[in-house]
Amino acid sequence: MTQIWPIGGGKGGSGKSFLTSSLGRLLAAFDKKTLLVDLDLGSANLHTMLDVPYPEKCFSDYVQKRVSRLEDIVLETPVPNLYIISGARDSLDIANLPYEQKVRTLKAIAKLDYDWIFLDLGAGTSFNILDFFLISQNSIFITTPEPTSIENVYRLVRAVYFRRIRQYFNVTEFKALEEKVVAQYGEGSFNKPDSIMRVIKTSHPKKGTLLENDFNSFKFKLVLNQLRKQNNIALGPQICKIMEKHLGFHVEFAGNVAFDDRVHDAICQRVSFLERYPYTRTAYDLRELSKNIAQSGNQQMLLRYS
Amino acid sequence: MKKDFAKLNYYEMLDVSPDAAFFEIRHAYNAALQVYAHDSIVSYSLFSLEERKKILDLLEKAYLTLINAQERKKYDNELAQAGVALHGGKKAPAQVPKSIYDIKRWTGPAVSPKKTNKIILRESVEESEKIRGILSKPEISGSDLKEIRNELGVPLEKITQETRVLLDYLVCIEENKINRLPAEAFLKGFVKAYLKSLCLEPADEICARYVRWLESAGKTGQAEEK
Ligand SMILES: Nc1ncnc2c1ncn2[C@@H]1O[C@H](COP(=O)(O)OP(=O)(O)OP(=O)(O)O)[C@@H](O)[C@H]1O
Ligand SMILES: [Mg+2]
Repeated sequence: MTQIWPIGGGKGGSGKSFLTSSLGRLLAAFDKKTLLVDLDLGSANLHTMLDVPYPEKCFSDYVQKRVSRLEDIVLETPVPNLYIISGARDSLDIANLPYEQKVRTLKAIAKLDYDWIFLDLGAGTSFNILDFFLISQNSIFITTPEPTSIENVYRLVRAVYFRRIRQYFNVTEFKALEEKVVAQYGEGSFNKPDSIMRVIKTSHPKKGTLLENDFNSFKFKLVLNQLRKQNNIALGPQICKIMEKHLGFHVEFAGNVAFDDRVHDAICQRVSFLERYPYTRTAYDLRELSKNIAQSGNQQMLLRYS
Repeated sequence: MKKDFAKLNYYEMLDVSPDAAFFEIRHAYNAALQVYAHDSIVSYSLFSLEERKKILDLLEKAYLTLINAQERKKYDNELAQAGVALHGGKKAPAQVPKSIYDIKRWTGPAVSPKKTNKIILRESVEESEKIRGILSKPEISGSDLKEIRNELGVPLEKITQETRVLLDYLVCIEENKINRLPAEAFLKGFVKAYLKSLCLEPADEICARYVRWLESAGKTGQAEEK
Protein backbone atom coordinates (compact mmCIF):
# COMPACT_ATOMS: atom_id res chain seq x y z
CA MET A 1 0.00 0.00 0.00
CA THR A 2 1.45 3.30 -1.07
CA GLN A 3 1.75 5.98 1.56
CA ILE A 4 1.60 9.52 0.31
CA TRP A 5 3.00 12.36 2.40
CA PRO A 6 2.48 15.92 1.26
CA ILE A 7 5.04 18.17 2.93
CA GLY A 8 4.40 21.87 3.30
CA GLY A 9 4.95 24.89 5.42
CA GLY A 10 3.43 28.29 5.38
CA LYS A 11 6.66 30.00 4.59
CA GLY A 12 9.57 29.75 2.19
CA GLY A 13 12.90 28.64 3.54
CA SER A 14 11.55 26.69 6.48
CA GLY A 15 13.33 23.58 5.28
CA LYS A 16 10.69 21.68 3.29
CA SER A 17 13.08 20.53 0.60
CA PHE A 18 15.83 19.66 3.05
CA LEU A 19 13.43 17.60 5.14
CA THR A 20 11.86 15.97 2.08
CA SER A 21 15.23 14.90 0.76
CA SER A 22 16.39 13.73 4.19
CA LEU A 23 13.25 11.69 4.82
CA GLY A 24 13.58 10.23 1.35
CA ARG A 25 17.14 9.13 1.99
CA LEU A 26 16.28 7.62 5.35
CA LEU A 27 13.21 5.72 4.22
CA ALA A 28 14.92 4.44 1.09
CA ALA A 29 17.56 3.02 3.40
CA PHE A 30 14.81 0.94 5.07
CA ASP A 31 14.72 -0.91 1.76
CA LYS A 32 11.50 0.73 0.63
CA LYS A 33 10.92 2.15 -2.80
CA THR A 34 10.61 5.86 -2.17
CA LEU A 35 9.63 8.60 -4.58
CA LEU A 36 10.06 12.33 -4.05
CA VAL A 37 7.93 14.64 -6.17
CA ASP A 38 9.06 18.23 -6.49
CA LEU A 39 5.87 20.22 -6.84
CA ASP A 40 7.42 23.48 -5.74
CA LEU A 41 7.29 24.44 -9.39
CA GLY A 42 8.99 27.65 -10.31
CA SER A 43 11.56 27.24 -7.55
CA ALA A 44 12.13 23.54 -7.72
CA ASN A 45 15.44 22.50 -6.24
CA LEU A 46 14.94 19.06 -4.79
CA HIS A 47 17.07 17.53 -7.56
CA THR A 48 20.05 19.57 -6.36
CA MET A 49 19.71 18.25 -2.81
CA LEU A 50 19.74 14.73 -4.24
CA ASP A 51 22.67 15.36 -6.53
CA VAL A 52 20.74 14.95 -9.76
CA PRO A 53 22.21 18.07 -11.41
CA TYR A 54 20.68 17.80 -14.87
CA PRO A 55 17.29 16.09 -14.76
CA GLU A 56 16.53 14.85 -18.28
CA LYS A 57 12.81 14.74 -17.70
CA CYS A 58 10.60 17.05 -15.77
CA PHE A 59 7.10 17.55 -14.53
CA SER A 60 6.41 19.96 -17.40
CA ASP A 61 7.03 17.15 -19.88
CA TYR A 62 4.01 15.47 -18.33
CA VAL A 63 1.87 18.58 -18.04
CA GLN A 64 2.55 19.54 -21.64
CA LYS A 65 1.92 15.94 -22.64
CA ARG A 66 5.30 15.31 -24.23
CA VAL A 67 5.22 12.27 -21.95
CA SER A 68 1.87 10.66 -21.34
CA ARG A 69 2.50 8.55 -18.26
CA LEU A 70 3.69 10.03 -14.96
CA GLU A 71 5.81 6.90 -14.37
CA ASP A 72 7.88 7.83 -17.36
CA ILE A 73 9.24 11.05 -15.89
CA VAL A 74 10.50 9.32 -12.75
CA LEU A 75 14.29 9.57 -12.50
CA GLU A 76 16.74 7.50 -10.55
CA THR A 77 18.97 9.18 -7.98
CA PRO A 78 22.43 8.14 -6.77
CA VAL A 79 20.70 6.73 -3.68
CA PRO A 80 19.47 3.13 -4.05
CA ASN A 81 15.65 2.83 -3.85
CA LEU A 82 15.21 6.59 -4.09
CA TYR A 83 13.51 8.17 -7.10
CA ILE A 84 12.51 11.67 -8.00
CA ILE A 85 10.10 13.53 -10.21
CA SER A 86 11.84 16.80 -10.81
CA GLY A 87 10.26 20.16 -11.35
CA ALA A 88 13.52 21.68 -12.44
CA ARG A 89 12.79 23.12 -15.83
CA ASP A 90 9.27 24.22 -15.09
CA SER A 91 8.56 27.87 -15.44
CA LEU A 92 4.99 27.09 -14.49
CA ASP A 93 3.81 28.04 -11.03
CA ILE A 94 1.75 25.32 -9.37
CA ALA A 95 -0.90 27.91 -8.55
CA ASN A 96 -1.49 28.27 -12.28
CA LEU A 97 -1.72 24.60 -13.09
CA PRO A 98 -4.92 24.27 -15.14
CA TYR A 99 -7.74 22.35 -13.46
CA GLU A 100 -7.70 19.36 -15.84
CA GLN A 101 -3.95 19.02 -15.46
CA LYS A 102 -4.21 19.14 -11.72
CA VAL A 103 -6.85 16.42 -11.59
CA ARG A 104 -4.91 14.31 -14.06
CA THR A 105 -1.76 14.68 -11.95
CA LEU A 106 -3.49 13.95 -8.66
CA LYS A 107 -5.05 10.81 -10.04
CA ALA A 108 -1.75 9.68 -11.54
CA ILE A 109 0.13 10.24 -8.27
CA ALA A 110 -2.50 8.33 -6.33
CA LYS A 111 -1.94 5.35 -8.62
CA LEU A 112 1.85 5.25 -8.54
CA ASP A 113 3.35 2.10 -7.15
CA TYR A 114 5.89 3.02 -4.48
CA ASP A 115 6.09 2.29 -0.78
CA TRP A 116 6.44 5.94 0.09
CA ILE A 117 5.79 9.07 -1.89
CA PHE A 118 6.70 12.51 -0.55
CA LEU A 119 5.41 15.67 -2.18
CA ASP A 120 7.49 18.82 -1.71
CA LEU A 121 4.75 21.39 -1.98
CA GLY A 122 6.37 24.76 -1.63
CA ALA A 123 4.91 27.68 0.26
CA GLY A 124 1.54 29.29 -0.16
CA THR A 125 -2.13 28.46 0.15
CA SER A 126 -3.31 28.46 -3.45
CA PHE A 127 -6.15 26.04 -4.21
CA ASN A 128 -3.85 23.83 -6.20
CA ILE A 129 -1.42 23.41 -3.34
CA LEU A 130 -4.29 22.67 -0.96
CA ASP A 131 -5.63 20.02 -3.29
CA PHE A 132 -2.32 18.24 -3.23
CA PHE A 133 -2.42 18.22 0.57
CA LEU A 134 -5.82 16.61 0.35
CA ILE A 135 -4.58 13.69 -1.72
CA SER A 136 -3.81 11.84 1.51
CA GLN A 137 -5.03 11.74 5.09
CA ASN A 138 -1.55 12.50 6.26
CA SER A 139 0.44 15.66 5.82
CA ILE A 140 3.57 17.08 7.32
CA PHE A 141 3.62 20.77 8.17
CA ILE A 142 6.94 22.40 8.80
CA THR A 143 7.56 25.52 10.79
CA THR A 144 10.56 27.25 12.26
CA PRO A 145 10.52 28.83 15.72
CA GLU A 146 9.64 32.22 14.30
CA PRO A 147 6.30 33.95 14.84
CA THR A 148 5.83 34.57 11.13
CA SER A 149 6.39 30.95 10.26
CA ILE A 150 4.07 29.75 13.03
CA GLU A 151 1.38 32.19 11.96
CA ASN A 152 1.58 30.85 8.42
CA VAL A 153 1.20 27.27 9.59
CA TYR A 154 -2.06 28.18 11.34
CA ARG A 155 -3.19 29.82 8.13
CA LEU A 156 -2.18 26.84 6.02
CA VAL A 157 -3.85 24.22 8.20
CA ARG A 158 -6.99 26.33 8.31
CA ALA A 159 -6.89 26.64 4.53
CA VAL A 160 -6.64 22.87 4.12
CA TYR A 161 -9.71 22.33 6.30
CA PHE A 162 -11.53 25.07 4.47
CA ARG A 163 -10.61 23.59 1.10
CA ARG A 164 -11.96 20.21 2.11
CA ILE A 165 -15.29 21.81 2.93
CA ARG A 166 -15.25 23.63 -0.39
CA GLN A 167 -14.73 20.36 -2.28
CA TYR A 168 -18.15 19.10 -1.17
CA PHE A 169 -20.09 21.92 -2.78
CA ASN A 170 -20.51 23.43 -6.19
CA VAL A 171 -20.17 27.15 -6.78
CA THR A 172 -23.81 28.11 -6.24
CA GLU A 173 -24.25 25.91 -3.19
CA PHE A 174 -21.11 27.35 -1.71
CA LYS A 175 -22.25 30.91 -2.35
CA ALA A 176 -25.54 30.17 -0.59
CA LEU A 177 -23.64 28.62 2.28
CA GLU A 178 -21.47 31.69 2.62
CA GLU A 179 -24.52 33.92 2.86
CA LYS A 180 -26.03 31.74 5.55
CA VAL A 181 -22.87 31.68 7.62
CA VAL A 182 -22.44 35.43 7.42
CA ALA A 183 -26.08 35.98 8.29
CA GLN A 184 -25.75 33.76 11.32
CA TYR A 185 -22.29 34.53 12.64
CA GLY A 186 -21.52 37.91 11.16
CA GLU A 187 -19.00 39.39 8.80
CA GLY A 188 -15.65 37.60 8.83
CA SER A 189 -17.06 34.35 10.14
CA PHE A 190 -16.87 32.73 6.74
CA ASN A 191 -13.15 32.13 6.96
CA LYS A 192 -13.63 30.21 10.18
CA PRO A 193 -14.14 26.53 9.40
CA ASP A 194 -15.92 25.94 12.69
CA SER A 195 -18.72 28.42 12.03
CA ILE A 196 -19.17 27.00 8.54
CA MET A 197 -19.32 23.49 9.95
CA ARG A 198 -22.04 24.49 12.39
CA VAL A 199 -24.19 25.76 9.56
CA ILE A 200 -23.48 22.73 7.38
CA LYS A 201 -24.53 20.37 10.14
CA THR A 202 -28.02 21.82 10.12
CA SER A 203 -28.41 22.72 6.46
CA HIS A 204 -26.58 19.71 4.89
CA PRO A 205 -26.47 17.08 7.64
CA LYS A 206 -25.24 14.30 5.32
CA LYS A 207 -22.35 16.30 4.01
CA GLY A 208 -21.70 17.49 7.55
CA THR A 209 -21.22 13.91 8.72
CA LEU A 210 -18.97 13.05 5.80
CA LEU A 211 -16.86 16.10 6.46
CA GLU A 212 -16.58 15.31 10.11
CA ASN A 213 -15.40 11.84 9.22
CA ASP A 214 -12.84 13.35 6.89
CA PHE A 215 -11.58 15.70 9.58
CA ASN A 216 -11.36 12.88 12.08
CA SER A 217 -9.33 10.87 9.61
CA PHE A 218 -6.77 13.65 9.09
CA LYS A 219 -3.47 12.67 10.61
CA PHE A 220 -1.48 15.83 10.28
CA LYS A 221 1.97 16.16 11.75
CA LEU A 222 3.94 19.20 12.75
CA VAL A 223 7.72 19.37 12.54
CA LEU A 224 9.61 22.20 14.18
CA ASN A 225 12.71 22.72 12.08
CA GLN A 226 15.79 24.82 12.79
CA LEU A 227 15.32 24.73 16.54
CA ARG A 228 18.22 26.57 18.12
CA LYS A 229 19.67 25.97 21.57
CA GLN A 230 18.03 29.04 23.05
CA ASN A 231 14.58 28.04 21.79
CA ASN A 232 11.95 26.50 23.98
CA ILE A 233 11.76 22.78 23.23
CA ALA A 234 8.11 22.75 24.26
CA LEU A 235 7.19 25.15 21.48
CA GLY A 236 6.05 22.46 19.03
CA PRO A 237 3.72 20.71 21.48
CA GLN A 238 2.36 24.11 22.52
CA ILE A 239 1.55 25.00 18.92
CA CYS A 240 -0.31 21.72 18.47
CA LYS A 241 -2.22 22.15 21.69
CA ILE A 242 -3.35 25.64 20.86
CA MET A 243 -4.52 24.56 17.41
CA GLU A 244 -6.55 21.80 18.98
CA LYS A 245 -8.03 24.03 21.63
CA HIS A 246 -8.76 27.22 19.77
CA LEU A 247 -9.06 26.19 16.15
CA GLY A 248 -10.30 22.63 16.55
CA PHE A 249 -7.58 21.21 14.28
CA HIS A 250 -5.89 18.04 15.31
CA VAL A 251 -2.19 18.15 14.46
CA GLU A 252 0.23 15.78 16.11
CA PHE A 253 3.68 17.01 17.06
CA ALA A 254 6.19 14.80 15.27
CA GLY A 255 9.42 16.26 16.59
CA ASN A 256 12.04 18.96 16.58
CA VAL A 257 14.89 19.12 14.10
CA ALA A 258 17.84 21.03 15.50
CA PHE A 259 19.46 23.90 13.66
CA ASP A 260 22.96 23.16 12.41
CA ASP A 261 25.15 25.46 10.32
CA ARG A 262 26.56 22.46 8.54
CA VAL A 263 23.22 21.86 6.80
CA HIS A 264 24.12 24.85 4.68
CA ASP A 265 27.63 23.47 4.08
CA ALA A 266 26.29 20.08 3.05
CA ILE A 267 23.79 21.60 0.64
CA CYS A 268 26.46 23.81 -0.91
CA GLN A 269 28.79 20.86 -1.37
CA ARG A 270 25.87 18.80 -2.66
CA VAL A 271 26.55 15.96 -0.25
CA SER A 272 24.11 14.23 2.05
CA PHE A 273 24.08 15.92 5.43
CA LEU A 274 23.04 12.64 7.04
CA GLU A 275 26.04 10.83 5.66
CA ARG A 276 28.51 13.62 6.19
CA TYR A 277 27.48 14.51 9.74
CA PRO A 278 25.74 11.43 11.12
CA TYR A 279 26.58 12.15 14.75
CA THR A 280 25.00 15.58 14.97
CA ARG A 281 21.84 16.38 16.89
CA THR A 282 20.18 17.32 13.60
CA ALA A 283 20.94 13.96 12.02
CA TYR A 284 19.66 12.21 15.12
CA ASP A 285 16.44 14.25 15.02
CA LEU A 286 15.94 13.41 11.36
CA ARG A 287 16.34 9.70 12.02
CA GLU A 288 13.82 9.87 14.86
CA LEU A 289 11.44 11.74 12.59
CA SER A 290 11.78 9.12 9.87
CA LYS A 291 10.91 6.40 12.38
CA ASN A 292 7.85 8.34 13.46
CA ILE A 293 6.74 8.63 9.83
CA ALA A 294 7.52 5.01 9.03
CA GLN A 295 5.38 3.83 11.92
CA SER A 296 2.24 5.73 11.13
CA GLY A 297 0.12 4.17 8.47
CA ASN A 298 -2.14 6.30 6.37
CA GLN A 299 -4.67 6.05 3.65
CA GLN A 300 -5.35 8.07 0.62
CA MET A 301 -8.27 10.39 0.69
CA LEU A 302 -11.19 9.91 -1.57
CA LEU A 303 -10.44 12.32 -4.38
CA ARG A 304 -13.49 14.45 -4.86
CA TYR A 305 -13.23 15.06 -8.57
CA SER A 306 -15.43 13.69 -11.28
CA MET B 1 -14.80 21.15 16.04
CA LYS B 2 -13.81 24.16 18.06
CA LYS B 3 -15.18 24.69 21.51
CA ASP B 4 -15.56 28.09 23.05
CA PHE B 5 -12.75 28.51 25.57
CA ALA B 6 -15.07 30.12 28.08
CA LYS B 7 -17.27 27.04 27.97
CA LEU B 8 -14.50 24.66 28.96
CA ASN B 9 -14.38 23.61 32.56
CA TYR B 10 -11.42 24.64 34.68
CA TYR B 11 -9.70 21.30 34.27
CA GLU B 12 -10.00 21.51 30.51
CA MET B 13 -8.77 25.09 30.48
CA LEU B 14 -5.62 24.12 32.30
CA ASP B 15 -5.32 20.77 30.57
CA VAL B 16 -5.12 18.76 33.73
CA SER B 17 -7.02 15.67 34.77
CA PRO B 18 -9.71 16.05 37.42
CA ASP B 19 -7.56 14.20 39.93
CA ALA B 20 -4.47 16.28 39.22
CA ALA B 21 -2.29 16.96 42.22
CA PHE B 22 -1.72 20.53 43.32
CA PHE B 23 1.78 20.68 41.95
CA GLU B 24 0.49 19.51 38.57
CA ILE B 25 -2.06 22.30 38.57
CA ARG B 26 0.58 24.84 39.39
CA HIS B 27 2.73 23.42 36.66
CA ALA B 28 -0.10 23.51 34.14
CA TYR B 29 -0.88 27.11 35.00
CA ASN B 30 2.71 28.10 34.40
CA ALA B 31 2.71 26.32 31.09
CA ALA B 32 -0.52 28.03 30.08
CA LEU B 33 0.87 31.45 31.01
CA GLN B 34 3.79 30.77 28.73
CA VAL B 35 1.47 29.98 25.83
CA TYR B 36 -1.01 32.82 26.30
CA ALA B 37 1.35 35.59 27.42
CA HIS B 38 1.27 38.75 25.32
CA ASP B 39 4.70 38.13 23.88
CA SER B 40 4.22 34.41 23.24
CA ILE B 41 5.11 33.50 19.68
CA VAL B 42 2.76 30.55 19.86
CA SER B 43 -0.41 32.56 20.17
CA TYR B 44 0.31 36.12 19.19
CA SER B 45 -1.36 35.83 15.80
CA LEU B 46 -4.45 34.06 17.08
CA PHE B 47 -6.08 36.47 19.50
CA SER B 48 -6.95 40.10 19.78
CA LEU B 49 -5.85 41.96 22.89
CA GLU B 50 -9.30 41.66 24.27
CA GLU B 51 -9.64 37.93 23.59
CA ARG B 52 -6.28 37.32 25.17
CA LYS B 53 -7.18 39.22 28.29
CA LYS B 54 -10.36 37.21 28.63
CA ILE B 55 -8.44 33.95 28.32
CA LEU B 56 -5.83 35.03 30.86
CA ASP B 57 -8.52 36.07 33.32
CA LEU B 58 -10.27 32.74 32.94
CA LEU B 59 -7.04 30.85 33.44
CA GLU B 60 -6.28 32.77 36.59
CA LYS B 61 -9.72 32.07 37.93
CA ALA B 62 -9.35 28.39 37.10
CA TYR B 63 -5.97 28.27 38.79
CA LEU B 64 -7.05 30.06 41.94
CA THR B 65 -10.06 27.80 42.26
CA LEU B 66 -8.30 24.50 41.70
CA ILE B 67 -5.31 25.33 43.86
CA ASN B 68 -7.50 25.92 46.88
CA ALA B 69 -8.75 22.67 48.42
CA GLN B 70 -12.04 24.12 49.62
CA GLU B 71 -12.84 26.08 46.50
CA ARG B 72 -11.95 23.07 44.41
CA LYS B 73 -14.30 20.82 46.30
CA LYS B 74 -17.07 23.37 45.85
CA TYR B 75 -16.33 23.61 42.14
CA ASP B 76 -16.25 19.82 41.72
CA ASN B 77 -19.66 19.68 43.36
CA GLU B 78 -20.99 22.31 41.00
CA LEU B 79 -19.70 20.32 38.05
CA ALA B 80 -21.23 17.15 39.40
CA GLN B 81 -24.57 18.90 39.82
CA ALA B 82 -24.36 20.17 36.26
CA GLY B 83 -23.97 16.55 35.25
CA VAL B 84 -20.33 16.68 34.28
CA ALA B 85 -18.76 13.36 35.13
CA LEU B 86 -15.20 13.78 36.27
CA HIS B 87 -13.41 10.67 35.16
CA GLY B 88 -10.33 9.23 36.67
CA GLY B 89 -11.03 10.26 40.23
CA LYS B 90 -8.88 8.54 42.79
CA LYS B 91 -10.35 5.19 43.68
CA ALA B 92 -9.52 3.48 46.92
CA PRO B 93 -7.56 0.34 46.15
CA ALA B 94 -9.66 -2.78 46.54
CA GLN B 95 -8.93 -4.59 49.76
CA VAL B 96 -8.12 -8.15 48.88
CA PRO B 97 -6.60 -10.56 51.38
CA LYS B 98 -3.07 -11.26 50.33
CA SER B 99 -1.78 -14.77 50.04
CA ILE B 100 1.59 -15.17 51.63
CA TYR B 101 2.73 -17.05 48.53
CA ASP B 102 1.60 -14.31 46.21
CA ILE B 103 4.97 -12.81 45.50
CA LYS B 104 4.60 -10.26 42.77
CA ARG B 105 7.65 -9.79 40.68
CA TRP B 106 8.32 -6.34 39.41
CA THR B 107 8.69 -6.75 35.65
CA GLY B 108 9.23 -3.13 34.72
CA PRO B 109 12.52 -1.30 34.85
CA ALA B 110 14.44 -1.60 38.09
CA VAL B 111 13.35 0.91 40.69
CA SER B 112 16.19 2.38 42.67
CA PRO B 113 15.55 3.01 46.37
CA LYS B 114 16.15 6.70 45.67
CA LYS B 115 13.33 6.69 43.13
CA THR B 116 10.86 5.06 45.49
CA ASN B 117 11.79 7.55 48.19
CA LYS B 118 10.98 10.31 45.75
CA ILE B 119 7.61 8.82 44.98
CA ILE B 120 6.80 8.62 48.66
CA LEU B 121 7.94 12.21 49.16
CA ARG B 122 5.82 13.42 46.28
CA GLU B 123 2.77 11.72 47.69
CA SER B 124 3.38 13.19 51.11
CA VAL B 125 3.66 16.64 49.55
CA GLU B 126 0.32 16.19 47.85
CA GLU B 127 -1.47 14.75 50.80
CA SER B 128 -0.43 17.20 53.48
CA GLU B 129 -2.97 19.97 54.01
CA LYS B 130 -0.34 21.95 55.81
CA ILE B 131 2.17 21.83 52.96
CA ARG B 132 -0.49 22.70 50.42
CA GLY B 133 -1.47 25.65 52.54
CA ILE B 134 2.09 26.91 52.66
CA LEU B 135 2.61 26.35 48.95
CA SER B 136 -0.43 28.39 48.03
CA LYS B 137 0.99 31.53 49.62
CA PRO B 138 2.08 34.24 47.19
CA GLU B 139 5.37 34.66 49.05
CA ILE B 140 7.31 31.85 50.62
CA SER B 141 9.91 32.47 53.27
CA GLY B 142 12.84 30.42 54.47
CA SER B 143 10.97 29.43 57.62
CA ASP B 144 8.08 28.26 55.43
CA LEU B 145 10.53 25.97 53.70
CA LYS B 146 11.76 24.71 57.03
CA GLU B 147 8.22 23.99 58.12
CA ILE B 148 7.61 21.97 54.96
CA ARG B 149 10.79 20.03 55.44
CA ASN B 150 9.92 19.23 59.05
CA GLU B 151 6.47 18.16 57.98
CA LEU B 152 8.08 15.77 55.52
CA GLY B 153 10.51 14.56 58.14
CA VAL B 154 13.60 15.02 56.00
CA PRO B 155 16.75 15.97 57.92
CA LEU B 156 18.67 18.96 56.61
CA GLU B 157 21.84 16.86 56.43
CA LYS B 158 20.19 14.67 53.86
CA ILE B 159 19.51 17.66 51.63
CA THR B 160 23.11 18.79 51.97
CA GLN B 161 24.27 15.37 50.88
CA GLU B 162 21.93 15.21 47.97
CA THR B 163 22.31 18.76 46.69
CA ARG B 164 25.92 19.39 47.72
CA VAL B 165 24.88 22.79 48.99
CA LEU B 166 26.81 23.69 52.16
CA LEU B 167 24.87 23.05 55.34
CA ASP B 168 25.65 26.60 56.50
CA TYR B 169 23.84 28.07 53.54
CA LEU B 170 20.82 25.84 53.99
CA VAL B 171 20.59 26.87 57.64
CA CYS B 172 20.78 30.56 56.70
CA ILE B 173 18.01 30.07 54.17
CA GLU B 174 15.76 28.27 56.61
CA GLU B 175 16.42 30.71 59.45
CA ASN B 176 15.72 33.76 57.28
CA LYS B 177 19.20 35.15 57.87
CA ILE B 178 19.02 37.49 54.94
CA ASN B 179 22.33 39.19 55.49
CA ARG B 180 24.27 35.98 55.40
CA LEU B 181 22.79 34.61 52.22
CA PRO B 182 24.98 34.10 49.16
CA ALA B 183 24.63 36.26 46.02
CA GLU B 184 21.23 35.98 44.39
CA ALA B 185 22.42 33.95 41.40
CA PHE B 186 23.80 31.27 43.71
CA LEU B 187 20.96 31.56 46.13
CA LYS B 188 18.39 30.77 43.45
CA GLY B 189 20.32 27.68 42.43
CA PHE B 190 20.51 26.52 46.05
CA VAL B 191 16.84 27.11 46.72
CA LYS B 192 15.84 25.26 43.57
CA ALA B 193 18.07 22.33 44.47
CA TYR B 194 16.52 22.30 47.93
CA LEU B 195 12.99 22.36 46.50
CA LYS B 196 13.76 19.61 44.03
CA SER B 197 15.25 17.35 46.63
CA LEU B 198 11.98 17.69 48.56
CA CYS B 199 9.94 17.10 45.40
CA LEU B 200 8.37 20.54 45.63
CA GLU B 201 7.39 21.33 42.06
CA PRO B 202 7.58 23.45 39.98
CA ALA B 203 10.79 24.52 41.62
CA ASP B 204 11.26 27.56 39.37
CA GLU B 205 7.97 29.04 40.30
CA ILE B 206 8.23 28.37 44.03
CA CYS B 207 11.73 29.79 43.97
CA ALA B 208 10.39 32.94 42.32
CA ARG B 209 7.97 33.31 45.22
CA TYR B 210 10.83 32.85 47.67
CA VAL B 211 12.69 35.65 45.90
CA ARG B 212 9.58 37.78 46.11
CA TRP B 213 9.42 37.18 49.84
CA LEU B 214 13.10 38.03 50.11
CA GLU B 215 12.55 41.34 48.37
CA SER B 216 9.71 42.44 50.59
CA ALA B 217 11.42 41.09 53.71
CA GLY B 218 14.50 43.09 52.81
CA LYS B 219 12.38 46.25 52.68
CA THR B 220 10.41 45.77 55.87
CA GLY B 221 13.25 44.23 57.83
CA GLN B 222 10.96 41.53 59.16
CA ALA B 223 13.63 38.86 59.00
CA GLU B 224 15.94 38.09 61.86
CA GLU B 225 19.22 39.78 61.36
CA LYS B 226 22.31 38.55 63.04
N1 LIG C 1 17.80 22.05 10.39
C1 LIG C 1 18.43 23.03 9.72
N2 LIG C 1 19.55 23.60 10.25
C2 LIG C 1 20.18 24.58 9.60
N3 LIG C 1 19.81 25.08 8.43
C3 LIG C 1 18.71 24.56 7.85
C4 LIG C 1 17.97 23.51 8.46
N4 LIG C 1 16.94 23.21 7.65
C5 LIG C 1 17.03 24.03 6.58
N5 LIG C 1 18.10 24.85 6.70
C6 LIG C 1 18.53 25.92 5.79
O1 LIG C 1 17.40 26.59 5.28
C7 LIG C 1 17.54 26.77 3.91
C8 LIG C 1 16.20 26.56 3.25
O2 LIG C 1 15.89 25.18 3.27
P1 LIG C 1 14.99 24.53 2.16
O3 LIG C 1 15.45 24.91 0.81
O4 LIG C 1 14.86 23.10 2.49
O5 LIG C 1 13.64 25.30 2.50
P2 LIG C 1 12.27 25.28 1.68
O6 LIG C 1 11.22 25.35 2.73
O7 LIG C 1 12.24 24.16 0.74
O8 LIG C 1 12.37 26.66 0.93
P3 LIG C 1 11.55 27.09 -0.40
O9 LIG C 1 10.20 27.48 0.07
O10 LIG C 1 12.33 28.26 -0.89
O11 LIG C 1 11.55 25.92 -1.30
C9 LIG C 1 18.56 25.77 3.42
O12 LIG C 1 19.40 26.37 2.51
C10 LIG C 1 19.32 25.36 4.64
O13 LIG C 1 20.60 25.96 4.64
MG1 LIG D 1 12.07 24.05 -1.38
